[in-house]
Amino acid sequence: MKTILRSRLLWLMLPALVIAAVGPWWLSAYYLGVLTMAYYFGVFAMSWDLLFGYAGMVNFGPTFLIGLGAYGAALLDTYAGAPIVVCLIFGGLMSIIGGILLALPALKLRGAYFGLVTLVAVLLLRYFIVIFSGFTGGEIGMMVPDILSIDTATNYEYALWFMAASALILVIISRSSLGLILEATGQDPIAAAALGFNVAKHRLAAFCISALFSGLAGGMMVFYSGTASVGTVIDISIGVQIIIAAVVGGRRTILGAMIGSIVILLADELLRPLGQLNIFVVSGICLAVIIVFPGGLLGLMHRQREGA
Amino acid sequence: MTAIQILIDGFVISALYGLGAIGFTLIFGVTGVLNLAHGGIMVIAALVGWDAANRFSLDPYGAAALGVLAGLIAAYVTYFVVIRPIQRSKRIPADETEIFILTATLLWGVMIQEGMAYLFSDNPVTMRPLLPGVVHILGDRTPVNELMIGVLCWVVIGLLWLVVYRTRFGKPLLAASENPRALGLLGFEMSNIHLFSWTIYGILTGVAGVLLASFLGVSSASAGGLTASAFSIVVLGGLGSVWGSLIAAYVVGYMETITAYVISPQLRPIPALIVLVLVVYLRPQGILGRR
Amino acid sequence: MEDPQLEEDQMNPTKRIRKLTLGATALGGLALGAAMPALAADSGPIKIGVIGEASSVAGASIINAAKLAADDINQAGGIDGRKVEIITYDDHSSASDAVSAFKRLATQDKVAAVVGSYISEIALAIEPWSGRLHMPYITPGAASTKITAAVHKNYKMNKYTFQGWLNSAFLAQSVCDFGKDEMVGPYHMKTAVIMSEDAAWTKPLDETYKKCLPKVGLKVLDEIRFNPDTTDFTPIFNKIEGQHPDVIVTGISHVGVRPTVQWHDQQVPLPMFGISSQASTSTFWKDTNGAAEGVLTQTGAAPDVATTPKTMPFAKAYQAKFGDSPSYVGYAAYDDVNAFAQAIKRAGSTDPDKIVAEMEKTKMVGTTGTVQFYGKDNQYAHGLEYGKGKVTGLFIQWQSGKQVTVWPEDVANGKMKFPSFVKLTAATH
Repeated sequence: MKTILRSRLLWLMLPALVIAAVGPWWLSAYYLGVLTMAYYFGVFAMSWDLLFGYAGMVNFGPTFLIGLGAYGAALLDTYAGAPIVVCLIFGGLMSIIGGILLALPALKLRGAYFGLVTLVAVLLLRYFIVIFSGFTGGEIGMMVPDILSIDTATNYEYALWFMAASALILVIISRSSLGLILEATGQDPIAAAALGFNVAKHRLAAFCISALFSGLAGGMMVFYSGTASVGTVIDISIGVQIIIAAVVGGRRTILGAMIGSIVILLADELLRPLGQLNIFVVSGICLAVIIVFPGGLLGLMHRQREGA
Repeated sequence: MTAIQILIDGFVISALYGLGAIGFTLIFGVTGVLNLAHGGIMVIAALVGWDAANRFSLDPYGAAALGVLAGLIAAYVTYFVVIRPIQRSKRIPADETEIFILTATLLWGVMIQEGMAYLFSDNPVTMRPLLPGVVHILGDRTPVNELMIGVLCWVVIGLLWLVVYRTRFGKPLLAASENPRALGLLGFEMSNIHLFSWTIYGILTGVAGVLLASFLGVSSASAGGLTASAFSIVVLGGLGSVWGSLIAAYVVGYMETITAYVISPQLRPIPALIVLVLVVYLRPQGILGRR
Repeated sequence: MEDPQLEEDQMNPTKRIRKLTLGATALGGLALGAAMPALAADSGPIKIGVIGEASSVAGASIINAAKLAADDINQAGGIDGRKVEIITYDDHSSASDAVSAFKRLATQDKVAAVVGSYISEIALAIEPWSGRLHMPYITPGAASTKITAAVHKNYKMNKYTFQGWLNSAFLAQSVCDFGKDEMVGPYHMKTAVIMSEDAAWTKPLDETYKKCLPKVGLKVLDEIRFNPDTTDFTPIFNKIEGQHPDVIVTGISHVGVRPTVQWHDQQVPLPMFGISSQASTSTFWKDTNGAAEGVLTQTGAAPDVATTPKTMPFAKAYQAKFGDSPSYVGYAAYDDVNAFAQAIKRAGSTDPDKIVAEMEKTKMVGTTGTVQFYGKDNQYAHGLEYGKGKVTGLFIQWQSGKQVTVWPEDVANGKMKFPSFVKLTAATH
């Protein structure tokens, strides 16, 4: 059953990717810009889902990992003038270090206790950036000298293929033995350990993978917008948006997180004419979705197919 | 002089933190819900109280009462509209109820924050002091209202203790936090116990919101920060432990106050956050947590 | 549908956008249902974009004042017969929301110019996009000198950005001038402590404070910068009192209610003056339950003071339509929309380069004074000009629920008064 589903999803994804890839021919520059952001959010949400959906870790601090990657890349670019690729790799490494830092408590703590540590990590990173505002630009944020491209369509394609590649790798990982073991450790760590799996090693791996993708996406976003700021890559509200996207899209599916991000960011923009109420309405719709369809958007598709 | 100021300010801030956190821990202990819209309920109580005072020219006490009532209603709405549907949903696997409640209350908190910003703008507002004026304590000038707030917090905490330990309504509540399944087997109607604890929760949280608005001021944008601070204190104290939360509130409150006075107001929250991480890491069950 | 689009595209400065919008007409409208085919640029209404947070008092002021300006322009016949249409987006006071609203206004709604945000951090985030998208932009309240420094340094790229309100350096200068006339003069004050929120706009403000306060006779004992998230100001006031200054000089805008109420409740015996932007709004008295009594702030204009012949009619119309009086950014936003409208009229087109060229020639009697912008060789390029005969701002003080103008003397309609707990003859050391 699962394999059929998987291939069906893949079949659905391929034409979607083709349609998306030719986006610059049929979408206005404005929507290209919105989708570019949505694609980066998609990577954030998929990375989060790997930790939550598979390893069972409620990470309230995805922006801790994203922020480290974003600021790592931005600082290296500003103060060392390194090429963008080097900055991105450096940002990714910073995130991995952050991921290991988060993984340490995760080996001991569960549920809300772990959630709190991740929340505090975000708060501390935020204060750190504000206190060292001389280097980091503080609340204002810092402008980076380089950007990926000034062309909307090029930026869009960068984001799209980055997301597609991330999705493919993350899906493969989640369906590999690592994913299965993670799922087992997430549901019952003691039983998994009794079966001879090294819980600590697998969890650490999950954190590093999640951190790497979060950090790379954070760095890419910085070089897309030309700025790194607390409000765009670190704020708790960004983390909240990521979690909501993953759950609304359908947890433990990786691709659901991606779909959730795109749907929510698009909805946010389409409802922008509502003015100050747009976030209220989008949140209300998401709340209704998770109460009425707990499987999320992707779960809804599965359900219909199962019924048929 | 600074020492006395730290002593008094720390006492009042900590009492407020404590009051804000008790409801959060109580509802977790009895019903197993981590309500991430907690700050939003405090904000509703504060803003409605403030608005009622202006709109109907109420005295501070009348306004405070209306604010608490608004907090109570908000708590009921949270329970009936957001939490109960998830708890009763057949489509949500039991072991995943927790993450659904977290996400749903997170969303609900965002809705409250945005809705309140729409109705009342995101400007911070302060409720009129319950008692105006200042007193001098050993050469230190302190607003009477501040002292009054510290005392009121403890009066409410004392009343809570009386209700839980000394009335027949309180006993099942205590039992439910120990072992909900056994209580269900004994024939207690769990939904009544849940409703009762949400009532207490709404009142406690409403009072905390109103007092906070009278002391430091509250805006719709405070909701997230208030939730985070209650959450930290509750985890530090040990999830579900009321007395642990009170101790944790005083640890955090005094650490922040001392940092603000002695080191720099800029660094205020940082030492407490670091201690929090260390304690949670070294003693994951918190100060008074079981397990 | 094809022809007007082509015309529109020929008007468009960037080839990139031209190419992309062509595609948009073909499929975008069908595909997303929201990508409306744009109207030709030389007929129909002239659109002006407005970005502000309706939930914040200042942001609401921007939106309301811009709408009022458009109504007034349209009643007077519009711009060469074309109506002015205001399109507003809420940025929730977030830089990323503001930038995405700005992009939407430029690429989707195809506005001719944008008026938006009073927060320097947000204006600084929009500025590079205004350059990239060739979209004229003016901020009616952001005061950071970085905004105009960027125009000066890289004129070719950033010339599309204007600063529609006095920058922090001028604000500080006007505070110092007031301090000399009203604090040092009558009360013989000698010392001050600066208390500013940590934000982009207060950096140049504090720098100028530290230079100009000693010049007018107020020695600066300390500069306290605090996080805008601060809720408890007791330790800050406590520290300031411990230094025994004669007066506190403020630089606050993101905060306002909390420090004011706590100053009042704790009966801090020191007067405060300077910039306290929220105190310029009419709801400040209600928000603070009257704790604002005695609070002084610099502001653009007051509803009952005829700074120019336009001030009072605007304030009256605003009050009649929206129920409260405009904040300082409201006056500026009204002037900014008018400045854009006049520039578009003179340019005879919505070509961004032509609009910018005409904006630079602006000399318009607005609600806060005569609006002019510094040229590209000035360090404050495209910043609002400060000085007598241009724009200076004034000082208001809250007294018994009313804003009384106390400075400069030629427009003042009241004398300064402080609540009884403020000791004006405070011990000097």
